[in-house]
Amino acid sequence: MTARRFSPRARARVPWVALVVVVGVALGVGANHPSAPTAPQREAAIDASLRCPSCEDISVADSSAPTAVAIRQLVATRVAAGQSDAQIDAFLVSRYGPGILLRPPVSGITAAVWIVPVVAMAAAGAGLAVVFWRRRRLETVSVAADDRRLVARALAEQAGGGPGPGRDTAPVP
Amino acid sequence: MSERALRRRHAARWVAGSALVIGVGLVVLLATRPPQAATEAYSPLVGHPAPAIVGTTVGGSSFDLDSLRGRWVVVNFFASWCPPCQQEEPELVTFAYEHRAPTDAALVGVVFDDSASGARGFLQGSGATWPAVVDPGGQVALDYGVRGPPETFLVAPDGTVAARIIGPVTSAYLDASLRQAEQAVA
Repeated sequence: MTARRFSPRARARVPWVALVVVVGVALGVGANHPSAPTAPQREAAIDASLRCPSCEDISVADSSAPTAVAIRQLVATRVAAGQSDAQIDAFLVSRYGPGILLRPPVSGITAAVWIVPVVAMAAAGAGLAVVFWRRRRLETVSVAADDRRLVARALAEQAGGGPGPGRDTAPVP
Repeated sequence: MSERALRRRHAARWVAGSALVIGVGLVVLLATRPPQAATEAYSPLVGHPAPAIVGTTVGGSSFDLDSLRGRWVVVNFFASWCPPCQQEEPELVTFAYEHRAPTDAALVGVVFDDSASGARGFLQGSGATWPAVVDPGGQVALDYGVRGPPETFLVAPDGTVAARIIGPVTSAYLDASLRQAEQAVA
């Protein structure tokens, strides 16, 4: 049995097809993800997103400090009462300040921290695309009729007993 | 004794000598270090209504912060196990005595992560006479955004938070903070 051989053009399409399949599967999985998280899942997620006020840079979820225990209790009570994550965060920020959030909100000066890298990446990608496009354009050099004639003459001379392969040839002007 | 053994003994002496110098240096540094001082700190509550303090005191009577509306109130979060709280306690006693007039600034304690009996013994031992509210579950501490004792809040006569102070206070520091807060309100 002989392996079927694909043309170079078909092979070049393989990564794109793979990319489309992966993105499609990811979107499908994302769309069919189980709906809203349960209350304990929400509590765990909120606890993990809050900084323990009396500790050094560990989350409320990871601390056994009295303040962390009290905040976990508060989160559980407020989740049970039907409050949204944003409402719970807002209450704690009103008591401890924005430093209580391990992930700062995307507003004001902190927005720059989130936006600048994305803009820089996009600019870098666009710059690279422009550079590659220009380089590709330069590769397709237009040849003047005189140049073509010169090359044809040189080739004819070579064919008619000129310098053979492996020997130095005079550069075509 | 071989040369190698002599060299080893010499090195051991150096190591022991260095450890002794470092140890003595650390002891001197810790002994001469100035005591922890009170500092005014940021709180999002400043300028906003003070969260409610309603509960039972370590003596068993009921307490409501609203009952002190119209007076400056110094709310002090403390614990008997906390050394800076032990450091500031005589200063609070002095402050309470100097402001004992019925219309003067009032002092209120809130027990932070401590038992009622522990806090009661601590207060009685220092001669404190102001009410100290027990806070099971740390709800009041959480409402005030307390990170750890001691923390002190100044509450204005209109019920708004005027300042948050972290670290052990002195009577003089509290007086100065009160004067500053009164001027800001006026």
